[in-house]
Amino acid sequence: MRMTTRKLLDRAFTAAACFAVGLMVLFLLFVLGPIFGKGAGAYVFTGTVEHRRMMIDQFGRGDEARVAAEWAGAQQARRPIYDALAAFEKELPQLPAAKRKALKPAFKAVREGVAVLLGPEPGEPLPALTRKMYGQTRWEKVQAKVTDILFEETWDYSEGAGKKVLVPRQPMFEGTALAPLFPLLQTDLTALLRPRLTFYPGFLTDVSVDAHFFGGIGPELLGTIYLALGALLLAVPFGIIAAVYFQEYAKEGAVLTFLRTCVNTLAGVPSVVFGLFGLAFFINTMHVSPGKSVLAGALTLALLVLPTVIRSSEEAIAAVPRSYKEGAMALGAGQWHTVLTVILPAALPGILTGIVISMGRAAGETAPIIFTAAVSVGKLVNPAELLTQPTPALSWNLYNLCTEHEAVDEIRHVQYGMAATLVLIVLVLNLTAILIRARVARRLKG
Amino acid sequence: MRTSEHIILSAGEKARRKAFGLLGRAFLFTVTSVAAMAVLAILFFIARDAWPFFSDRGVGDFFFSKAWYPAHQPPQFGAAAIFAGSLLVTGAAVVLAVPPGVFAALCMSDILPFNVRQVLKPVIEMLAAIPSVAYGFFALVVLAPLLQESGGRVLAAAWWVLALPALFLASVVAADLLTPGRLSHAAHRLARTLLTLCFLSLSLALLAHVGRVLGGLQVASGVNALTASVILGVMALPTIVSVSEDALQAAGRELREGSYALGATRAETLVKVVFPAALSGVFSAVLLGVMRALGETMVVWMASGNAAQIPKPWYNLLQPVRTLTATIAGDMGEADQMTGSAHYHVLFAMGLCLLLFSFTCNLAGEWIVTRQRKRLRGG
Repeated sequence: MRMTTRKLLDRAFTAAACFAVGLMVLFLLFVLGPIFGKGAGAYVFTGTVEHRRMMIDQFGRGDEARVAAEWAGAQQARRPIYDALAAFEKELPQLPAAKRKALKPAFKAVREGVAVLLGPEPGEPLPALTRKMYGQTRWEKVQAKVTDILFEETWDYSEGAGKKVLVPRQPMFEGTALAPLFPLLQTDLTALLRPRLTFYPGFLTDVSVDAHFFGGIGPELLGTIYLALGALLLAVPFGIIAAVYFQEYAKEGAVLTFLRTCVNTLAGVPSVVFGLFGLAFFINTMHVSPGKSVLAGALTLALLVLPTVIRSSEEAIAAVPRSYKEGAMALGAGQWHTVLTVILPAALPGILTGIVISMGRAAGETAPIIFTAAVSVGKLVNPAELLTQPTPALSWNLYNLCTEHEAVDEIRHVQYGMAATLVLIVLVLNLTAILIRARVARRLKG
Repeated sequence: MRTSEHIILSAGEKARRKAFGLLGRAFLFTVTSVAAMAVLAILFFIARDAWPFFSDRGVGDFFFSKAWYPAHQPPQFGAAAIFAGSLLVTGAAVVLAVPPGVFAALCMSDILPFNVRQVLKPVIEMLAAIPSVAYGFFALVVLAPLLQESGGRVLAAAWWVLALPALFLASVVAADLLTPGRLSHAAHRLARTLLTLCFLSLSLALLAHVGRVLGGLQVASGVNALTASVILGVMALPTIVSVSEDALQAAGRELREGSYALGATRAETLVKVVFPAALSGVFSAVLLGVMRALGETMVVWMASGNAAQIPKPWYNLLQPVRTLTATIAGDMGEADQMTGSAHYHVLFAMGLCLLLFSFTCNLAGEWIVTRQRKRLRGG
C-alpha cells in the first residue's frame, strides 16, 4: 500500500473515532435537550387568569382580591363572545333548513371549543370534573385550542395516504350572529385570558388534581425519596460489611471465588426479574406486607443496588494506602480496630460515592417497583403506611402518564416536568459522586 | 507500669481477644454470604414459580409456537414470537452500538489528550445514569413521532452521513490495492486514478440508489423495533465504551511503542496490535452490552409497539415487536389477582429464561476476563 493511502486511512480512522465520541455527546444533548427544555415549562410558563383562579380554588395560593379583579375584567371581555353564542342560538331555528343542518354541528363544535378554552359559560352549573371547571391555564395550550375553534380538522384521502387539512370555520358563519366571535378570538385573546409569566415552584410539592390535569408531583417525589432511601438503608450496611470482608478478611480460595461470582452475577440480573423476585419472595412467600408496599419495593431495590455498593466500597477500601494500615498495626491496633478506626474513615468518601450513585439508580428504576411498590394514584399520609401501603413514584408515574393516561396529549407538560425532575435528581446525584471522586483523587495524589 | 500492662496481655485476655476476632470474622462471613447468596435465592424463587408452567404444559409450545393468546379460553402460551422480538431488538441494538462504542473507546484510550478524556468520562456516566423510563419517554414522545413523520428522510440522511465517507475511503483503498505493481510510474498513476474513478462512480450509484430506497420508506408507526433498538443501543453504549476502554488501556504501553518503532501508523497500531490484544476485554464489554439491552424493560415496553409477532421479513425493524421484558412488565400489572394462574407462571418462565441467559453471559464474560488475566500474567 502506498504511504499516502496509509496516511489517509490513519486520518480517516482518527476522524471515525472522534466522530463516535462526538455522536455520544450529541446524543446526550439530543436526549437531555427536550427533557430539560420542555420540562422547565412545568415550573415556568405563561399562565392565564384561569391558572390563577385554579390555584386559589384548589390550593388556596395567590392574591384573591387581585385575581378576582382580573377575573371580572376577563369576564367583561368575554361578554361579546357569550352574546354572539346566545344570539346565534336564537337565530339558528330561523335559518333555511339546509343551512341549519350544515351549521348545527359546526356551532356545537364552536360552543364546546369555547367551553374548553374559557371554562363553563356563566350561569351554567359547575361541571363535576375539575378539569372542566376552568378554561385553559397555559398559554401554549390556549393557542392550540383557539385553532381547534377557528378551523375544522378534516382528512384528505385524494393522494392515498390521508393528509390533515384545516378548513376555516369563519366563512361558514358569514352573515350570521356568530360571525363576530371569530375575529374576537384572534385579536382579543390577551384580554380574554390575561396571560402572564408564571413561576410555579409548587409543582414539586403539590398533590395532583383530577388525574394530573392540575397541580404537581408531590406524592410521586415523596414516594421516590422513600423508596430510594429505604433501599439504601437496607443495602448500605450489607454492602459495606461485604466489602470489608472481601478486602480485609477473605483468603483466596474457592469460597471467595464463588462469593465474588455470585455478587457479579447479581449485578447482571435484569431489573424486571428483580421485580418478579420481589413479588414471589417478599410479597407472596415472606408476606412482608399484604400486597404491594414501600417496604417490599425498598427491599427489592436494595438487592438491585447491592452489587454497586459492594463494588464501590471495595474499590474505596482498596485505594486506602497500605501505609495507613501498617501504621495502625505498628501502633498495636488489632485488625478489627484498624478497620473501624483507620480504613473505613479513610475510605469513607469513596464509599459515599458508591452510595450516592446507588441512590440515583434506585430512584430511577421502574421495572422492579411495578409489581412490588408502585401505584398510579394515591398518597402516603403517615410514615406507618410505609410498611403496608404502595406509593406513586416519579419513574412509574412517568410511564403511566405517558402511556395509560386517558388524555395523554393534554398533560404533556406534566410528563415533561416529571421526566425533567427525575433526570435532574439522578444527574445531580451522579455529579455529586463525580465531585467527591475528584476530591478524593486530588487528596490521594497529595 | 501501665504501658507494659497494656502491651503484654495475660493468657485469658489473649484467648478472649482471639475468640472475639473469630466471632467478628464469622459475623462478616455470614453477612457477606447472605448478600452473595441473594442471587441463588432469586434463581430459586423464580424457578419455583416457573416450574408449574413447565410441568403442566411442557416446553414445546412455549418455545416453538407463535400463538400468544393468554386471555383466550383455553389460553395459548406460545412465546416464540416474543423470544424472536427480544432477539431482534437486542441484536439490532448491539449492531448499532458496538461500532461506535469500540471506536469511542479507542478514541478515549489512545487519541484524545488526558484533559479531554477527563471531561468525557462524566458524559459517559451521565449517559449511563439517565433512568430507563426517561429514555423510554424520550423514545415515545420525541423519537417515535420524528420517525413516523419523516422516517424515510431521517434514515436516508443517516445513510448518506455514514456511507459516503466509508465508501469513498473504500474506493481509494481498493484502487490502491488492485493497481498492478509491474508498471512504469506514469502508467501506474494513470491506472490507479482510473480505478479510483471507476470505484467512486460505482459507490456513488450504490449510495444514491440505497438513499432513494430509504428516503421513500413510509414508517407506519413510530413505535417499532427500530426506535427501541436505537435507544437500547444508546443505553448499552456507556457499558461498551467504558469496559472496552479499560481493556484497551490494559493492553500496555510497550505493545504500542513496539508497533510505532516498526513504523506503523496510529491506526495500524490500534487495529493490528492493540485491538487484538484487548479483544477478549472488548468481547466481554459486548456481552455486558447485550445483557443490558436484553434485560432492559421500560424502553422496549414504551417504544417497541408490543405486538406479539415476528416481523415480515424477519429483519424488518420498522414493524412493532414484543419482548420478554415488556411482556412480563405489561402482563403482571394486575399481579394481585393473578397470583397462581397459568398466566402468572408463564411470566415467571420468561423471567427464568432471561435470568439463565444473563447468568450464562455473565459467567462467560468472567471466564474470558480471568483467562485473559492469566495470559497477561504470563501463564
